[in-house]
Amino acid sequence: MRRRTFLSTPLLLPTLVTAADEPVAYPAVRPGVKLVFPRDHGAHPDYRTEWWYVTGALDSPRRDIGFQLTFFRSRPGTAEALPSPIAARQIVFAHAALTIPGDRLHHAERVARANLGASFSRLDCDLGIGAWRMTREDRSTGEVFLLQMQSPQFSYDFTLKPSQPLLLQGDGGYSRKGRSPELASYYVSWPQLQVDGVLVVDGRRQAVSGRAWFDHEWSTAVLGDGAVGWDWLGINLADGGALMAFRLRDARGATVFADAAWRDAAGRVRQFGAAEVSFTPLRTWLSARSGASYPVQMEVRFGEHTLRTLPVLDDQELSTSRPAEVVYWEGLVKVDGTLKGRGYLELTGYAGRLQL
Amino acid sequence: MTLLAWWLVRAQFRTRRAATLLSMLAIALGVALGYAIHLINDAALTDFNRALKTVQGDPDAVLAARDSAGSVPLATVNAIARDPAVLVIAPVIDTRVRIDRWRTPFRLIGIDVFSAAAVMPRLLPRRDERAATKSIFDGGVYASPALLDKLGLQAGATVTLVRGEHEWLTTIAGDLPAVGPDELLLVADIAWVQDRFGPVGAVSEGRVRLAPNTDLASWRAALAARLPAGLLIRAADDDSTRVANVSRAYRVNLNVLALVALLTGAFLVFATQLTAVAQRSAQFALLGVLGLSPRMRLLQVVLEGLAIGVPGALLGLGLGYLLAIAFTRLLGGDLGGGYFLASAPLIVPELAPTLGFLALGCAASLAGALYPAYLNRRQPLAQALKMGFSQNPRAGGAIRTIRTTRPRGLRPLLLVLVALGLAQLPPIVELPLGGYAAIALVLVIGVGSAPLVTQCVFGWFAGCRLPAAQQIAVQNVAQAPLMAQVAASGLIVSFALTASMVIMVSSFRVAVDHWLDHVLPAPLYLRSKGTPLPQELLAALTRPEAPFARVERTAYGSLTIDSQRPNVALLVREIERSNPAARLPFTGPVLASPADTVVVWISEPMHEIYRITPGQTLRLPLLGSEVKVFVGGVWRDYSRQFGAVVISRDDFLRLGGVFQPTDLALWPLPGQEALAGDWLAPWTSGYGLELADSAEIRRLSLSIFDRSFAVTYALEAAAMLIGLFGLAVTLAASVWLRARELATLAALGFDRRMLSRAVMLEGALIAAVGLLIGLACGVAIGAVLTYVVNPQAFHWRMPLEIPWSTVLAGAVLTLLAAVVASHYAARQTTRLTVAQVLASAQ
Repeated sequence: MRRRTFLSTPLLLPTLVTAADEPVAYPAVRPGVKLVFPRDHGAHPDYRTEWWYVTGALDSPRRDIGFQLTFFRSRPGTAEALPSPIAARQIVFAHAALTIPGDRLHHAERVARANLGASFSRLDCDLGIGAWRMTREDRSTGEVFLLQMQSPQFSYDFTLKPSQPLLLQGDGGYSRKGRSPELASYYVSWPQLQVDGVLVVDGRRQAVSGRAWFDHEWSTAVLGDGAVGWDWLGINLADGGALMAFRLRDARGATVFADAAWRDAAGRVRQFGAAEVSFTPLRTWLSARSGASYPVQMEVRFGEHTLRTLPVLDDQELSTSRPAEVVYWEGLVKVDGTLKGRGYLELTGYAGRLQL
Repeated sequence: MTLLAWWLVRAQFRTRRAATLLSMLAIALGVALGYAIHLINDAALTDFNRALKTVQGDPDAVLAARDSAGSVPLATVNAIARDPAVLVIAPVIDTRVRIDRWRTPFRLIGIDVFSAAAVMPRLLPRRDERAATKSIFDGGVYASPALLDKLGLQAGATVTLVRGEHEWLTTIAGDLPAVGPDELLLVADIAWVQDRFGPVGAVSEGRVRLAPNTDLASWRAALAARLPAGLLIRAADDDSTRVANVSRAYRVNLNVLALVALLTGAFLVFATQLTAVAQRSAQFALLGVLGLSPRMRLLQVVLEGLAIGVPGALLGLGLGYLLAIAFTRLLGGDLGGGYFLASAPLIVPELAPTLGFLALGCAASLAGALYPAYLNRRQPLAQALKMGFSQNPRAGGAIRTIRTTRPRGLRPLLLVLVALGLAQLPPIVELPLGGYAAIALVLVIGVGSAPLVTQCVFGWFAGCRLPAAQQIAVQNVAQAPLMAQVAASGLIVSFALTASMVIMVSSFRVAVDHWLDHVLPAPLYLRSKGTPLPQELLAALTRPEAPFARVERTAYGSLTIDSQRPNVALLVREIERSNPAARLPFTGPVLASPADTVVVWISEPMHEIYRITPGQTLRLPLLGSEVKVFVGGVWRDYSRQFGAVVISRDDFLRLGGVFQPTDLALWPLPGQEALAGDWLAPWTSGYGLELADSAEIRRLSLSIFDRSFAVTYALEAAAMLIGLFGLAVTLAASVWLRARELATLAALGFDRRMLSRAVMLEGALIAAVGLLIGLACGVAIGAVLTYVVNPQAFHWRMPLEIPWSTVLAGAVLTLLAAVVASHYAARQTTRLTVAQVLASAQ
């Protein structure tokens, strides 16, 4: 559940965009829609927002390196009436981060409109902004995702090979995000992807391998039920299982909605409703930059399981600068408890109240 | 020792207050003019670059079409965006539109805010929060503060943007807070601009920001090899080089004029110091006897030169700064040259060039003082004590006449040959340096030959029977040619330069006048400033009720041949392939072209700059590809300094071009001339077109021409003044120098009026010789300017036309002024205390 863009879509362009001349008829997310692949790996440009999110851990002799590459597609409702291929109807943002434990967090971002620097396909996962790419490819050895990004500080070129089938979240991909049924998204995950490729940091090239988690989610709904932020977790478990859990918080920090899905090593999927999932902060880290206090060590309970998160680096706070600033925490964590593994924790809405 | 040196300097300043002040002033004037030109140009360039940076941002490279009618396909932009070395490519559509009924078009820049943020942040718009305006993505237009002011508009206002027959009704959604206070421009979303005004599926430019560790040169070379022929990739350096190239020749010419003023100043220092040395020869001889070494005597005069140069140069810097401010207010940053926008740029002096000009002023005065210093060192002490100053100390004699037996004419003759040779040199670093050297040499020859000419002319005069006073004057000039040379040198230099400038400008003006006759065959001209003419008008003109016998359409564009040079103008004209000479003033033969090839006719500057000759086959970047064209001839063009190429409309259409006329030449039906204007009036007011008759264009062109030489005239006047000052100062000095002789004459019964008349006559005679030589040199330099400097610096040629009446009238006027100046010198004779002088001589 990467709902950064639920919040940020209106936030991203506050100075440039307000409501469009005429309200745009975005399609609603409904249950019972059969997702078809690879077509549904592609873009759904009619919906308001969509993202393809890869997070992962790279094996390293010392400590694991975290990486993240995200493509956001946004249909802000602008230029809907302009019949030009380069009209600003579809904006694509890409965001990449690299966590080197003991060192620091690097990040880079790009933004462009569709057909003018950015591209996406409706038929398959094929995204690009400039030289940044996220594409799915069928090879004789099976399908793979290809990830490429460059920035002055770091760049990488990874091949992601699935080791397990897709994981459709919620009800066949229909994933609830609030108490009312309209607050929902289509949500597809692909845990336990084998990563191989080349990482370049400050000019030094190295061959790397690791495990990644792919999320693809599209929706029209905005944050509801008085929520101001969320905590999200996507963990590749050491036994081959996968865990996704999230909760939405209100201004007082109370949980307004929660959800979790656990696929065990045998491939059985169990869903946990709001009542069965809880998040309890154990330790907070105070960011000197933003003044935000993040519960980087969290106890997560679902069903009979209790897990604790341990960040590989406390300072994995991010701030996207373009076009508007969004400050949040997202980083590689180790998970310990009744299940073990590693994956990404996302903490939003801590650096001041996110305004819609 | 230093005490003595300063004491001597002070004494020198006190006794020769006027001469010293004048020398200082001359140096100051030279420095001031040079420094002012430098400051103004520097400010104008900075201004221009700043404007360029605002609009273009700070890209590493720019992808653009070579043809102004061309564009960069979106596919190419997107392909380059995918290059890993490219951080971002910011596409831009740069066009000109009219706003509502405003006559002048304004720049409309279509940007993509996402990429513009990285490359051209100053163009980012700010939405007005009070007015409920459209966002940039929804077609809101943003105007620079200056434009809002000018149009009297506010955010929320509805405006119609017009280009050709395309209209866009939109609203002003806000302003451009980071754009400079003088910039007049509009910014809108690139997709909206493209949708309303084109180009379809393409943009004007892509501005590239590369990843930090990319090697620009190799990346560029690799990309250039892959690019379609119609596109070019230019580096940011190219832009500044191009901007500097725009006004380079003009600037260098002005700076040479300033150097001339400085040179005149140096001559004046020379005159002052030489007379000063002569006057104080007894003083120096005494000091020499008392132990002042010859080296110290030399240094003393040099020091005195510096004592004139330093304050003169400092004064010049201050004066130059004020001049620069005054000129930019009056004429704009290009001194009337028409190269830059007419806004007054901000003058900001910088240390290094300021020190440079200070040094230049000092160097000029030092150069002037060197020869007198040398003479002072060589003075034989005993003789100097007894007899006074020796002009030719090597010979060891007293005042001597020049030996007539030596063939002194040989050296000048040799120098003349060298000057001729220099004038034949090709341009060096694209500047007519050989021509400038020839000019300097002509001046040296002129000044150097002054004694010879003086002696020849006055030697003959002296032989004639004349009244006593006149006889004395003639003898004086004839027998002291060095003094005559000193007195005349400033005048020779200044008059030669003034005359040459008058000759060059006059030749140029006559040529432009003839040329205008040829290029303005129609009685009426209609143009839309930079935007295509409305189709409705073009259609209406073809209908029988239109009161025109003939209409010729032209489409203006431009081509980039070399990305470091300003663009070459492209003129698509309705011209007959078989008879282009009916419309173009060819400089040479018109070659018949093979029937199946495209033929172009290039302008003289293009011929000179790119070394393209008639008969050659050229690959022209036209319509998105390289087209092979045959060069049919070279035509004279005084209006586009960076070159122009004419292609017939038929050939252009044959190549697949879209003919979008921007200019019309109109021949009204006989008797319907008045009607024609009325018929066109609704079009001109409705579409902001400019209608002018040929007489008006001619008048305007010539007035622009005259204005661009305004500064030249100002400099010339200054040089003439300095020359006259020099004459007066030297004459006055010579009166003191010859105090004994004059006193003797007074004792012999000459009254003061006779003495003063003799001095005045002497001045007039010297001035006449100086003017004679100056005139000869002026004609020679005028020829160099016309035949060498102009073609090499500005790439246009013209026949030499000497305006004898103007030049001679100038000479007579200068002679009269010289008489007045000599009058000032002659007044010195009335101050002679005859008895005292004679007494001290014993």
